[in-house]
Amino acid sequence: MRISIEWLKEYIDIEMTAEELADALSMSGTAVDRVHTLGGGISGVVVADVREVKPHPNADTLSIVVVDDGETVREIVCGAPNVRAGMKYPFAREGARLPAVSSKPLKKAKIRGVESAGMLLSAAELGISEDHTGILELAGDAEVGADVHQALPLEDIVLELEITPNRPDCMSVVGVAREVSALTGAPLRLPSVELDESGPPVDTLARVILEDPQGCPRYTARAVMGVKTGPSPAWMQRRLTAAGLRPISNVVDVTNYVLLELGQPLHAFDLDLLAERTIIVRRAARGEPMRTLDGVDRQLDEATLVITDPSGPVAVAGIIGGEDSEVTESSANILIESAHFDPTSILLTSKRLGIRTEASARFERGVDPGGTAFAAARAARLMNELAGGQVASGEIDAYPEEIKPRTLELRPSRANKVLGTDLGAGEMAGILQSLGARVEAGEALTVTVPTFRPDLEREIDLVEEVARINGFDRIPETVPQGGGLAAGLTPQQRLEKKMLAGLTAQGLSQAVTYSFMNPADLDLLGLADDDKRRRVVTLLNPLAETGEGMRTTLLPGMLRVAGGNINRGSKDLALFEAGRAFISQGEEVLPVEIDTVALLLAGDLHPQHWSGRQTACDFFDLKGIVENLADVLGITVLEFGRASEEFLVPMSAAVLSAGNEYAGYIGQLHPRVASAFDLEGDIYCGELLAAPLLAAANESVYSPVGRFPNVKVDVAAVVDEAADAIEVERVIRRSGGDTLKSVRLFDVYRGPQVAQGKKSLAYALEFGSASGTLTDEQAHRRLDAVIASLQKELGASIRGREREGEAR
Amino acid sequence: MDENSMNEIEQLTQERPELAALARESLDAIEAAGTPAELEETRVRLLGKKGSIAAVFKGLGSLPPEEKRTLGQIGNALRTLAESELTARAARLKDAETKERLLREATDVTLPGRRLPQGHDHLLARVIDDVTDIFVSLGYKVVAGPEVELDFYNFEALNTPPHHPARSLQDTLYVRRSDPVSDDPKDILLRTHTSPVQVRVMESERPPLYVISPGKAYRKDEIDATHSPVFHQVEGFAVSEDITMGDLKGTLEVFARKLFGEERAVRFRPHFFPFTEPSAEVDVSCFVCAGGGCSLCKGVGWLEIMGCGMIDPAVFSHVGYDPEKYTGFAFGGGVERIAMLKYGVDDMRVFFENDMRFLRQF
Repeated sequence: MRISIEWLKEYIDIEMTAEELADALSMSGTAVDRVHTLGGGISGVVVADVREVKPHPNADTLSIVVVDDGETVREIVCGAPNVRAGMKYPFAREGARLPAVSSKPLKKAKIRGVESAGMLLSAAELGISEDHTGILELAGDAEVGADVHQALPLEDIVLELEITPNRPDCMSVVGVAREVSALTGAPLRLPSVELDESGPPVDTLARVILEDPQGCPRYTARAVMGVKTGPSPAWMQRRLTAAGLRPISNVVDVTNYVLLELGQPLHAFDLDLLAERTIIVRRAARGEPMRTLDGVDRQLDEATLVITDPSGPVAVAGIIGGEDSEVTESSANILIESAHFDPTSILLTSKRLGIRTEASARFERGVDPGGTAFAAARAARLMNELAGGQVASGEIDAYPEEIKPRTLELRPSRANKVLGTDLGAGEMAGILQSLGARVEAGEALTVTVPTFRPDLEREIDLVEEVARINGFDRIPETVPQGGGLAAGLTPQQRLEKKMLAGLTAQGLSQAVTYSFMNPADLDLLGLADDDKRRRVVTLLNPLAETGEGMRTTLLPGMLRVAGGNINRGSKDLALFEAGRAFISQGEEVLPVEIDTVALLLAGDLHPQHWSGRQTACDFFDLKGIVENLADVLGITVLEFGRASEEFLVPMSAAVLSAGNEYAGYIGQLHPRVASAFDLEGDIYCGELLAAPLLAAANESVYSPVGRFPNVKVDVAAVVDEAADAIEVERVIRRSGGDTLKSVRLFDVYRGPQVAQGKKSLAYALEFGSASGTLTDEQAHRRLDAVIASLQKELGASIRGREREGEAR
Repeated sequence: MDENSMNEIEQLTQERPELAALARESLDAIEAAGTPAELEETRVRLLGKKGSIAAVFKGLGSLPPEEKRTLGQIGNALRTLAESELTARAARLKDAETKERLLREATDVTLPGRRLPQGHDHLLARVIDDVTDIFVSLGYKVVAGPEVELDFYNFEALNTPPHHPARSLQDTLYVRRSDPVSDDPKDILLRTHTSPVQVRVMESERPPLYVISPGKAYRKDEIDATHSPVFHQVEGFAVSEDITMGDLKGTLEVFARKLFGEERAVRFRPHFFPFTEPSAEVDVSCFVCAGGGCSLCKGVGWLEIMGCGMIDPAVFSHVGYDPEKYTGFAFGGGVERIAMLKYGVDDMRVFFENDMRFLRQF
């Protein structure tokens, strides 16, 4: 909503500067988005009369215009489509200053071979609106040769207001003036509706039949007979253009002017084009045809409220007029419609038809049902004043059931309890009265709310009004006590933080991606048809570019992040994302949302350094990261088994389980999948499920560090190539007994020194005791037991057993 | 040099000038040794079995007692002197050698150090952490909610009227159902804000409640510099028997100053939200111009950071709280917006592109 301060001052005295006013409005809930300064710095522009319009010899779209600027008559070139002989326009003489056009004075120009000294101006060139469509027509009574500032108050400041949806009343100049009045205490001056009702009684001229009082609770009409249409005066044109509307003709401009002034949308019908001079308000029949003012032929439906005459629709109620009854230059008798329509009906119809107009924007938020008669009278008065004719006496007011003002109670104690203030009942009453409410004192205030405030329905709405006008900045600041014992992170949340910190500490950077997925990505991964991750939550109205489902795995998103980075030249990647995967449980219930951590490694894990060479990352870098994470979380039951994920290299993939619960997978991305995602080189990736990992986490436990040195022995077991290292380790641990303090695999050997199809796994074992230093003999007895078990349980042969420090 | 030993020797050798010469020669030889190996040779030459000092003791047994004693004394003094000079020379040589070696091995301290790989938090995660930490320190607990949500929690229970524009297919992403009904509370959608968590928590718990809830939210916005279909919000609310709007103001002022700096001013502009009343938008004074007006704040001097208000009694009614007994406040802000303001990021897309060159900056 654009509000001209010049116009606003017609209804209220304002002492503040425009900036102070903008601030006061913003701080009371009417946000000022921008402040426009109009028409400043203009000079050398006068009112000119166009004597003649001739075609340009070298251009079809240009004209040669004979202009009288009061001093001389000259020919200039003009490109405006609306230039007409006998009309008056603002004319910039040579040397004129037009800040909206240029910082330099206007110069003589040669346009398509014709000399042109000066130009006729549009509203945009004067800087009073954005309207470039034609030159600005001035009123017929403007004095030729007079400075344009005399014909038109050009200098103005326009506030661009953001009106919240609950405040339809502020979509008008008077409504904003009322807000200012409440804020400053200056009295509000309503515009005059005094009428000279010299015409015949209105009910002898027209008839209104209200068939749908639900859709249209009130329909007020007035008639003005024998008007003469023409351009409206410059002051009205300027105010309309300042508000962003285009002047059309005095009759139509008056309806728009009152819409802006009072917030009541009006419609002007050519009374002579209404069949039987009768208005019927009803729902349309299904498929009923109508051509609206925008020139579109429409098929209406039963939900659409229409204004009709007995021959058919003449307007879509509250939204747009029809072409058939449009006011034209030849219209003489005008019927002014000032109605109240049901907001929801207007909202739905406007949405269905895809039309939003100044009228519909107001009706859908709720226009004052009590204000229709005032607005009709105001429009009749202005029309009479600008276009002559006679105002028919009386009004038609179809209002079967009066919408009465609401009465609410406001307990001052309640208001103070909600706000944390100490305001007196009198202060509250004063504020509400300044907003147009009637207030009766008592234990609670009895507040009769004006009908132009449909948003005031409950006590809390009044509390807000009190707070808003009194000023939010006058509410004293306090801090509540907080949740005490219930406050802070849960142990689970602390672990979650620890988990993510454990990843960044290991060199992985965090990515955040969209939660969408294209189900086709699952085909790229090669997931089986019955895979759980095929249960995708699909969207009804997805965005074209982001995929039509919710992700069931974070992997495709991670692969795209990797691809993007590799394409941009970052080839060494260590990334993770912590986010949710969504598994559908059927379309009538919410999906399961699984907190997941995706991992990805590519290229070299360590930054290249001048002192050494890089090494490409591999499976064991990724596994090591997960093992460290398990350490950080105190997980002792994490196990890696062979995974069978379709998108991983079959023999380089592990499934994780934590305490027998599935906890994710890690592995090397299958080259087929890598190329499907346009990735080159080896990619190692995984997904961890947060819940089972966090459930398996333990607090760290202290165990006394032995005071006696451990005995270190090495042993190498030769086992079948197919045997898993974890099996060998399990046997060692089981047979090592209490004194076995640590087991570390330090070498895996395949080659000439072991048989074909075998591998040698070398372990460093440490034996120790809290009660004393073990003797070599004791340690070797334990080692003998370990060796015996390896031989017996795994058929292993022993390649060597050595004391540390002895030659190998 | 050991002055006492030298004086003693000079006295003793007044009668024996050849031994005085030996003493001087020994000292010169020790001083002349330039390496540990040369020094060792000198030691052998002087003190070895066939050394020149050892020779002094030779044939000592056949001398008369008087002479024997004098010569023994001289011999011992010579030996002591040589030994102590050898030790001192060895130490000096070692020092010189160490010095020279360290000089040879000099480190170019301007070469880059060897660093362990360093991971980086995502900027959005960092902002979420910063915001969450502030509220945890004010006595809040952290609660998460589902991102795929029922219309009831996202709109209905938050007092959003049917046909509200936010509920349209143009604004909200809906989950496909075989039999969709418009404005149906059973509709499933991607939550458009984190506020449904308010309803979920109030439904299952009783006041007093102090809750902060960060998370993803979704809207049907085409991707550009200032819009993203996926974004993050932080929701917070407090409900108790005596929560006031003054509490809301005080809390958010503490929050804004902790996050954006102690010197920031905070203001509350009345606004409208369906689920709070009174409602406000929260501005902080511009970081760049501190209120004077600049391009960041578009000349206003203030930056909008979040929306807030007193929880609407209608919301309490939906969860079965007595609005006469309980009052509460709620607030919510966009994480991306806070990150953009605080770190001067001018394009929302960088948050989701995950370019390593971006990630490494935080």
